[in-house]
Amino acid sequence: MLKYFRSIFLVVSSLLLIAAAPSALAEDKSQTEYKYVLHIDDMDPSKQELILNNAQNLLDAYPPGDVEVEIVAYGPGLRLMFAENVNARRIDALSQSGVKFTACGNTLKGMAKLLGEEPKLNPAATVVPGGIVRIGQLVKQGYIYIKP
Amino acid sequence: MGDKKHFKRVLISAACTLAFAATETTYAANWLMLQGTEDPASASRADVWGYVQVKYEKDYSDANATGGYVPPKLLGPELDSQDGFNIPRATIGVRGTGFPLDSRINYFALLEMGNNGVTYPGGAFAKLLDGSVTLNYIPGARVRAGLFKYPGAEEGLQAIQLFDYINFSEASNALLLERFPNKGFTSCTGVTAPCNAATGNVGPYTEPQLQGGASLNTLYTPVGAFRDVGVQVFDAFDVGNDWEVSYAAMIGNGNGVEFNNSDGEYDKYLYLSGEKKFGGKGPWAEGLKFFAWGQWGTRLLDLTNDSTANAKPYDRNRAGLGVKYLAKPFRATAEYMKADGMIWEGPDKPNFYFTSPANGNGANAKGSGWYVEGGWYIPNTRFELDARFDTLTRNENRNDQYTFDKWTLGVQYHFNPKTRVTLNYEIRNFTCDSGVAPCTNAGATSPNYNLEGVGNKIGVQLTMVY
Repeated sequence: MLKYFRSIFLVVSSLLLIAAAPSALAEDKSQTEYKYVLHIDDMDPSKQELILNNAQNLLDAYPPGDVEVEIVAYGPGLRLMFAENVNARRIDALSQSGVKFTACGNTLKGMAKLLGEEPKLNPAATVVPGGIVRIGQLVKQGYIYIKP
Repeated sequence: MGDKKHFKRVLISAACTLAFAATETTYAANWLMLQGTEDPASASRADVWGYVQVKYEKDYSDANATGGYVPPKLLGPELDSQDGFNIPRATIGVRGTGFPLDSRINYFALLEMGNNGVTYPGGAFAKLLDGSVTLNYIPGARVRAGLFKYPGAEEGLQAIQLFDYINFSEASNALLLERFPNKGFTSCTGVTAPCNAATGNVGPYTEPQLQGGASLNTLYTPVGAFRDVGVQVFDAFDVGNDWEVSYAAMIGNGNGVEFNNSDGEYDKYLYLSGEKKFGGKGPWAEGLKFFAWGQWGTRLLDLTNDSTANAKPYDRNRAGLGVKYLAKPFRATAEYMKADGMIWEGPDKPNFYFTSPANGNGANAKGSGWYVEGGWYIPNTRFELDARFDTLTRNENRNDQYTFDKWTLGVQYHFNPKTRVTLNYEIRNFTCDSGVAPCTNAGATSPNYNLEGVGNKIGVQLTMVY
């Protein structure tokens, strides 16, 4: 009987270990040597292109997996992450290459008030409560802060 | 019945496809979209822009036998000299989205302060060339309202600051760049004869009468500038495989950059294009574009120089098609256009007076023309070579039929993408060539009396876009 329980325990433990593996890998990934947070907060169209160029250049500069890039947008800069943005295809491509897009929830609420409806965001964007808070957290985690 | 249903279904599914595809539209060298819309969620609240052109031209035409010069031998818009400097265009514009969070509304405004056919006739210091608002609410049917370039020939619709030559082709100039009739033409004061009340709407008139009544020199309204005031429905659709289809339908006053609708009728415009996009962005996007267009309208005109205001509406119809190819280092364009009615007339010069009554007049004339041009951007240099041949047949199949042939050879030097200098040499051959009178008349009664002396022209133009 004990043998039977021990076998079940071993099987369950193995399964748990396997299940835990991806998160362990993710933690390893968070230990990436180079981590950048790119910040956009104005509506200048050339800044939108520039920040996407920055992200692409960072990806190109390091071997795959050696760099993490997160773009955080708040204020008027949030237009970059609107679903209809003219750069939407580039954003999709960068997202698939690992670039994270983070949208400020506070800005989103403010814009919803002005527009009468919440603007539709690019599916690649993740909403956080506060963009500025997110930047602070990332800097504390060792991210290099860049504002093009 | 079954066929009808099937046709309906096809139409509905095509419309749905296009409507959904509209959200994926990109913005290539598509003048409808470039001038009528802004980049979604990216455009500025107010983007200040404009362009300045400074040019020098010299016309080598000879005087006629009695020492006279006629307009093809003189430089516009004054038509009183054969060489000189000018600032034909000096504009300042602003465009963008009034409320940047909302990409569904955008605007476009442009003020012209250069010395040209728009500002000179009225003696205006500045003239509004564009002032429009676009509503992008309906998928597949954007609505643009105001004053703007009507959908038409490539030469007129494209941004003039990017035009590769100093002067338009003869066909675009004579058939499309509209000169409006002088409304004061009815006066017979001081004229002895023949004020023709009996024959209705056709002369005969003496040349001094006609020139005094409606010559280009005395026109007091701006040229049409390929623009109209009205409403346009348009959009562009990505239909797959890098092909983009665009359409536009418009109604307007039919009075150019002026705001009145004096004939009480509206001009109608239709435009359709299909473009295979090769890449690039904005006005320099590369591709192969096919397009066709048409416009239908009327103009109120008094042809009876009889002291009585008896203006009548005359049809003014235009149509054309063309193709443009751009894949650097090569560019090629070809356009054909035809005109029916209200053609800028003159036996020997492009004035807007109606003469040769035995042959009819410009209000009822027909014309057609075409051009083919090409450019070569010399690799690894800032030089570009251009060449164009254009031809215009005016008063087709009439005794006073004219042919205007012109070669334009050009070199451009691009200081940067927004500043360039253009050198053009025009070789012109204008003739009245019906083979019968009045073309075959001897001496001053033949239109060729003046046209034979039309010579070549050289021009240098500096263009800066800001």
